[in-house]
Amino acid sequence: MGQLKRTHLIEAAIFLSIVILFFGFSFEFNQPIEIYIFGATGWPRVIIGLLFIATIGNLWFQYNHGSASQATLGQSEEKPDFSAPGTIPRMVTILGTPFIFAWLLKPVGIYFSAPFFIAIIIWLFGERRWKAILIITLLIYFVFIGLFLVILNAPLPQGNMSPFYDFSAWILKINAKLQGI
Amino acid sequence: MIENFLAGSAALFGDPFTIGIFVFGVIGGMLFGAIPGVSMLTLAAILLPFTAGLDPAQGVMLFAVIYCTGTYGGAITAILFNIPGSAENAPTAFDGYPMTQKGQSGKAVGAAVLCSAIGGMASALVMMTATEPLANWAIRNIGPPEIFALVFFGLAVASTVGARTIWKGWMSVLIGLLIATIGQDPVGGINRYNFGFTDLAAGIAFVPAILGFFAVSEIFVQAEKKASGKYKAPKVSMTFPTFLELWLHKIAVFRSIIVGFFCGILPGIGATLAAFMSYGEAVRWSKKPEEFGTGKLEGVISAETANNAATGAAMIPLLALGLPGGALTAMMVAVFQMHDLQPGPLVFMLSPDLIWIVFAAMFYANLSILLIGVIETKTILNLLKIPFQFLAPLILMLATTGAYISRGLVLDVMIMFLAGIVGYLLRRTGFSIPAIVLGLILGEIGEQNFAQGMQMVHYDLGDYFSRPICAVLIAAGFITLGSSIFRAFTSAKKSV
Repeated sequence: MGQLKRTHLIEAAIFLSIVILFFGFSFEFNQPIEIYIFGATGWPRVIIGLLFIATIGNLWFQYNHGSASQATLGQSEEKPDFSAPGTIPRMVTILGTPFIFAWLLKPVGIYFSAPFFIAIIIWLFGERRWKAILIITLLIYFVFIGLFLVILNAPLPQGNMSPFYDFSAWILKINAKLQGI
Repeated sequence: MIENFLAGSAALFGDPFTIGIFVFGVIGGMLFGAIPGVSMLTLAAILLPFTAGLDPAQGVMLFAVIYCTGTYGGAITAILFNIPGSAENAPTAFDGYPMTQKGQSGKAVGAAVLCSAIGGMASALVMMTATEPLANWAIRNIGPPEIFALVFFGLAVASTVGARTIWKGWMSVLIGLLIATIGQDPVGGINRYNFGFTDLAAGIAFVPAILGFFAVSEIFVQAEKKASGKYKAPKVSMTFPTFLELWLHKIAVFRSIIVGFFCGILPGIGATLAAFMSYGEAVRWSKKPEEFGTGKLEGVISAETANNAATGAAMIPLLALGLPGGALTAMMVAVFQMHDLQPGPLVFMLSPDLIWIVFAAMFYANLSILLIGVIETKTILNLLKIPFQFLAPLILMLATTGAYISRGLVLDVMIMFLAGIVGYLLRRTGFSIPAIVLGLILGEIGEQNFAQGMQMVHYDLGDYFSRPICAVLIAAGFITLGSSIFRAFTSAKKSV
């Protein structure tokens, strides 16, 4: 096993899966182009081939040197630290929350979901004073509404499910009234 | 030239409404460039429909001013939060952010203010004198093979930047290139890798990807530090660099102006490669290259001088050939078209007034960075005093809006957060986010120009080397690649 660790093998497995996935899917658009002999698959397959070589090279490097670093420009010397208890579940929650928020944008809309999202993020970042969470949530929400709705009139997701859609419509109605539209 | 410049200045400052648009562009560009998670592109996209009601000169001038000041504004977030406002500010973060962590944020931002202004003004002056001769030279000498060669060289350089090992640097660039293949192929328009999502037929939009890889992944990194109890608030400093400190870097400034200008002039390449190449050159010329990436002032100076030097140069292919060099110059084409004008050689003959108002405005916009930048920057530095748990949701909300607003797709918001998660995991395992983003930006340009180039030379690769500029760039790319291959097999700094 040389100096290989389990994380190195997982990393290699992920990249090799990407190589296999993209190579497999390249057959879906393997059509000739009359004016270009390499077709639509030529460029992606060269990249896939090079990525395969680089992944094997990376694995070879890790086999010989473990997690050693090389002198590249501007690399970060910081290493992740998950040793404190509860760090991993908290990180999984932090990584998942924005994705759930994005997924809810279509049915619920941004006007209703934003304050909950803001408050949850503040809480996940370690703030426990409920008054501070409430005040900052409202402040950010009104800055956001003021900038993008009142000043810029930007079209934002309103949701497509009642009663969330009705709430967005109510906010838009107030804005229209305020601006005399 | 001086008469034309004075006439342009008089037209710019002779009308109060035009002055108002200029000031709005200066402040708006800086602010939107500086707000983490939102870029000058967001402001430009929002303003685009409103330019229909302006004079053509006012519309194009507004975008040119936003381009200059927004490029500088992105440096502030790169330095203070490690969140580059746009890709051209990514190398600024390499040394700017470590300087902030050391309590030297004021010095880094001060250098960015001064060098952005110097680079931009020098570029504007060269642009005014050299637009026509350079445009004629480029028409004769720069074609798809040369652009492909430059992309190849740029990617070879990018693979040596920011990753823990050379192997991971290459993997980063290749992942960026692979993401860029999603969407229609640039030759035949055949759909590639849309995985059943019709919205992916247009490819991965650049704005959500860059917001995810830079802004969102940085939030996750800070969240991890908070969770593990290792978070340290950045130290605020108001000490700007002394004149002597900047004078000691005069050669770096001069070199970066040249690198920035020549990268900026090439269609489709622009300020991003300029900043990366200038940073790479600064390291190559340095007697202590190992100090780069740890908070070296020269790193900030090189990147910021070059990206602003590229703004003036980027206007040359746009105005002389009608070829946009990037997203913002592409929007300027739309401004021209809204007024039934087509950028290109004819504009010089038909609307010389427009050209000289734009040139004068760009010069004064860069000058304004010096004047307004210092005042505004001190206000923005105070942002650091806000606890990160309150700043994080604000950045995420702005990023969400920025990702959604460009195409009106929730899918783009999901892509942004997905890029944020992937970016966070890749950063924590030693991959280079700037290299991924550069691969993503240059992927399509590279493929398109490779295909056109191959058709031009009838699929004879040897013909590429019979073109001097192309041969030099490809040789430089292979030398860079060769030296990194050598290091990949021979060097290992330390085990951790």
